[in-house]
Amino acid sequence: MEATTAQPAATKAPAPKKAKITERARAERKLAYLLCAPALIAMLIVTGYPIGYAVYLSLQKYDLRFPDEKEFVGLSNYSDVLTSSIWWDDVLTTTIITLASVAIELVLGMAIALIMHRAIFGRGPVRAAILIPYGIVTVVAAFAWRYAFDPSAGFVQGTFLLGDDAAPLTERAGSLVVIILTEVWKTTPFMALLLLAGLSLVPDELHEAAKVDGASTVQRFFRITIPLMKPAILVALLFRTLDAFRVFDSAFILTGGANRTETVSILGYNVLINRVNLGLGSAVSVLIFIAVILIAAFFVKVLGTSTAQQRGEV
Amino acid sequence: MTHTPREKAFWSIAILVVILYALIPVAWITSLSLKSPDQVADGKFFSGFSFENYDQIFSENTFNAALVNSLGIAAIATLISIALASMAAYALARLNFAGKAVILSGALAVAMFPPISIVGSLFDLWRAIGLYDTWPGLILPYMTFTLPLAIYTLSAFFREIPWELEQAAQVDGATPFQAFRKVIVPLAAPGVFTAAILVFIFAWNDFLFANTLTSTTDAQTVPAALAFFSGGSRFTEPIGAISAAAVVVTIPIIIMVLIFQRRIVAGLTAGAVKG
Amino acid sequence: MRRDRSKRFLAAFATAALSVVTGCGFSDTGGGGRGQTLNWYVFNEPGGANEEAIKKCNEESNGRYNIAYRRLPTDANQQRELIVRRLAAEDSTVDLVGMDVIWTAEFAEAGWIEPWEGDRALAATEGKLEGPRKTVEYQDKVWAIPFTTNTQLLFYRKDRVEEPPEDFTWDQMIEQAAADGKAIEVQAAQYEGFTVWINSLIAGAGGQVVDEEGDVNVGPSATKAGEIVSELANSAAAPPGMANNKEDQARIGFESERSNYQLNYTFIYPSAAENVGEDFQKKIGWARYPRTVADMPSRPPLGGINIGVGAFSEHKDLAFEAAQCLAQPANQAVASELGGLPPTTESAYGLAKVEKALPFADLLRESIEEGTPRPVSPAYSDISLAIQKTYHPPENVEPDKVRDKLEDRLKKAAEGKIF
Repeated sequence: MEATTAQPAATKAPAPKKAKITERARAERKLAYLLCAPALIAMLIVTGYPIGYAVYLSLQKYDLRFPDEKEFVGLSNYSDVLTSSIWWDDVLTTTIITLASVAIELVLGMAIALIMHRAIFGRGPVRAAILIPYGIVTVVAAFAWRYAFDPSAGFVQGTFLLGDDAAPLTERAGSLVVIILTEVWKTTPFMALLLLAGLSLVPDELHEAAKVDGASTVQRFFRITIPLMKPAILVALLFRTLDAFRVFDSAFILTGGANRTETVSILGYNVLINRVNLGLGSAVSVLIFIAVILIAAFFVKVLGTSTAQQRGEV
Repeated sequence: MTHTPREKAFWSIAILVVILYALIPVAWITSLSLKSPDQVADGKFFSGFSFENYDQIFSENTFNAALVNSLGIAAIATLISIALASMAAYALARLNFAGKAVILSGALAVAMFPPISIVGSLFDLWRAIGLYDTWPGLILPYMTFTLPLAIYTLSAFFREIPWELEQAAQVDGATPFQAFRKVIVPLAAPGVFTAAILVFIFAWNDFLFANTLTSTTDAQTVPAALAFFSGGSRFTEPIGAISAAAVVVTIPIIIMVLIFQRRIVAGLTAGAVKG
Repeated sequence: MRRDRSKRFLAAFATAALSVVTGCGFSDTGGGGRGQTLNWYVFNEPGGANEEAIKKCNEESNGRYNIAYRRLPTDANQQRELIVRRLAAEDSTVDLVGMDVIWTAEFAEAGWIEPWEGDRALAATEGKLEGPRKTVEYQDKVWAIPFTTNTQLLFYRKDRVEEPPEDFTWDQMIEQAAADGKAIEVQAAQYEGFTVWINSLIAGAGGQVVDEEGDVNVGPSATKAGEIVSELANSAAAPPGMANNKEDQARIGFESERSNYQLNYTFIYPSAAENVGEDFQKKIGWARYPRTVADMPSRPPLGGINIGVGAFSEHKDLAFEAAQCLAQPANQAVASELGGLPPTTESAYGLAKVEKALPFADLLRESIEEGTPRPVSPAYSDISLAIQKTYHPPENVEPDKVRDKLEDRLKKAAEGKIF
């Protein structure tokens, strides 16, 4: 039972004993700071500083093509972005992609997790297979799907799924479907693995007890599995929602933002890198950052109340 | 335990569907890469074996250089990230100190951070200090953005290590270093290795940084090079060549995934269960 | 010079890593030997014309310079993205730039390229066709030397349709093709090639996206262009996947026999023989770009590559010399032979190589001389994006609204706003 005795000491600091900091504890603390410092500093330098710099740039008129015209303009870049229909259009597009792909992933991911959890054989091959989409380069996945739907090179056209003349990547709805499909294909495995971890936390005894009480499989799934998995589901949703909201690679390769499928990340990229308008582009960047914070805050709040509820119930 | 034939059939179909789901796009791009130029537009799922596209990409400097850049940058970023993360994870798992929450929430914040929010700043900073289109220019963001993943995975693994064994070994007469090397390193290695795989996959996969912070064969990685591939004539879209290059970058990932599948799954779930 | 040191370190590291991986070293330059290295950033010309030109000039320089071929992608947007980032970073390794004709104003205004003055200006423009010559001029200065040019022709199926009359219009062509149930191949994906099309349509109706003073002044031509785009996209002559088609999809479509007409660059002609066969190639006829309106000659698009000298280069004098050498008529002739790219120098058209490579040389020359440049403006890429967004996707264009939308976007582009 070594492992179990070691665990509590390691996972959480022991009950606050603030009375006296011993010499040893001080040395330990010093070592801990030394060990953590490089990672913390790296994270601060590469994310903290640039986001601060982005905020600074977003208050400037700063176009690399007209370097002499650099000047402080206050919030006018933000008002430009927020009053343009393009920005809101892109926010809508990004939201559609995010909601649709995360919803589909949740259902599919749960199905795959259940297969991996309950299958009576073949768990190994399933696990190996689903890790392929997880590991594959997103750009590669996007090219594979783009060519699959290409009117001349693709194989999807002319099958039962699509008519002979259909070219989904030439219109908005079709393009959105293909982008969502690519996202779903690539990231469902990640969702499935997170859910699998949650599934393994549901004790079998509960299921057995419910079975004895005459609950059907479906009832057991919705009454026992889902509620117990709620935190795991919310964590998975949080990560995937944030990830989907920054969607760039697949949309960039599939449509490049054509047919009104521009996502906020593509907009930021176009303004920053294509138009080299760093001032205006940074305003877009900062707005995306704020949107991500809002999404995260929302989930953390829901997550907080749900775990609190659970604790209250148990 | 016995199962009814109906159960067996159900699970067989379910498993088959999952495997097909995962493999169809991979099979498709592989088949595309094996088509000769006049077969590319035939719209068939499979039309034969021709290695023309592979000959073409490997005879081009662009792709070879990109492959070297990808390997080198991902490998160095992985090494540094794992080194930094191991130190932090050790502290988190083994030491008592105020400020654990700072590290963990800092890592969480970086994990949620949208890269698009800083590519503009990084571009402007990198061009000012000469890191634009260089290896370090990509290694820095990669190692940073993989730190959270590495720290969470590693600290989850490190918590499972029975550290008392180290003291036991010392009692038995081993020096502290021997104890560390002979006892702890072998125990920690699988976790470190798992984290390294996950970090490598991340760096190998990245497109946004590679696309914005590089411009030539000096530092362009494969995903960025793929998006900028040139065709056989000024206006030809090089479907076959892109597919071949796509297959080449996919092979190492598939090999890694197949060999280390248990570890990857353990690593991905280890960090997540704690919430 | 920390930068140089870190670069050298990296280069050494990269080479070492490569040797480990592949077991051999590699060199990017292609040319060996002595002399000052000049980097030429230019699109990767798969026919080998750029290599030939480099080889010739390196020999002619007698070892004073050594041009290194730094390949950029073939797509104009992508080329620009990559080179602009380098120039904005004030990279001193950019000695020579292969510039798409549309970049002159932007690069000149930003101070990224050196002006050609005095004798150099004369050398750059003397004996050049008028269209290409205008693309190197901006605000009364010369900014580059024209190398190759390009324009689109109307290719048609001689075995299926009659030779188009001189005043053939888009409307007539769409009507004809729709009646035959065959397609017209165009470039209508959302990218630079789409701007090329729209710009020619607008110019063909006498309009101009941006006038000489740099002001937005599209006028009713924008509406006429919208009518044509929408008419084609919603007719039976619209090719499948039209809104995603670039030059190559158009070529493939034409080769698949689905279409009677194709607007495209001349590369499709050798391709027809290569990918389908000589018999197919013989069925292809060519004519001048169709008219937007019946009573005005058409304004074919004008493309091509000029060679500029980087403003941050440490070897500008040598670079000017090398640029002139690269752009000499003999190299232009090689570019037509190997890459199918028409020359910018009048005299080069007389060379036997050119006549052999381009059977339609006379028509090309006429089209180039009367072609329309794309808008000259330092904010060109914004203008182009504004045009693309306004007219894309083609089937949803509302001709009566398109002018206001375009003018609004162009105004925002000029003011550096989101559009």
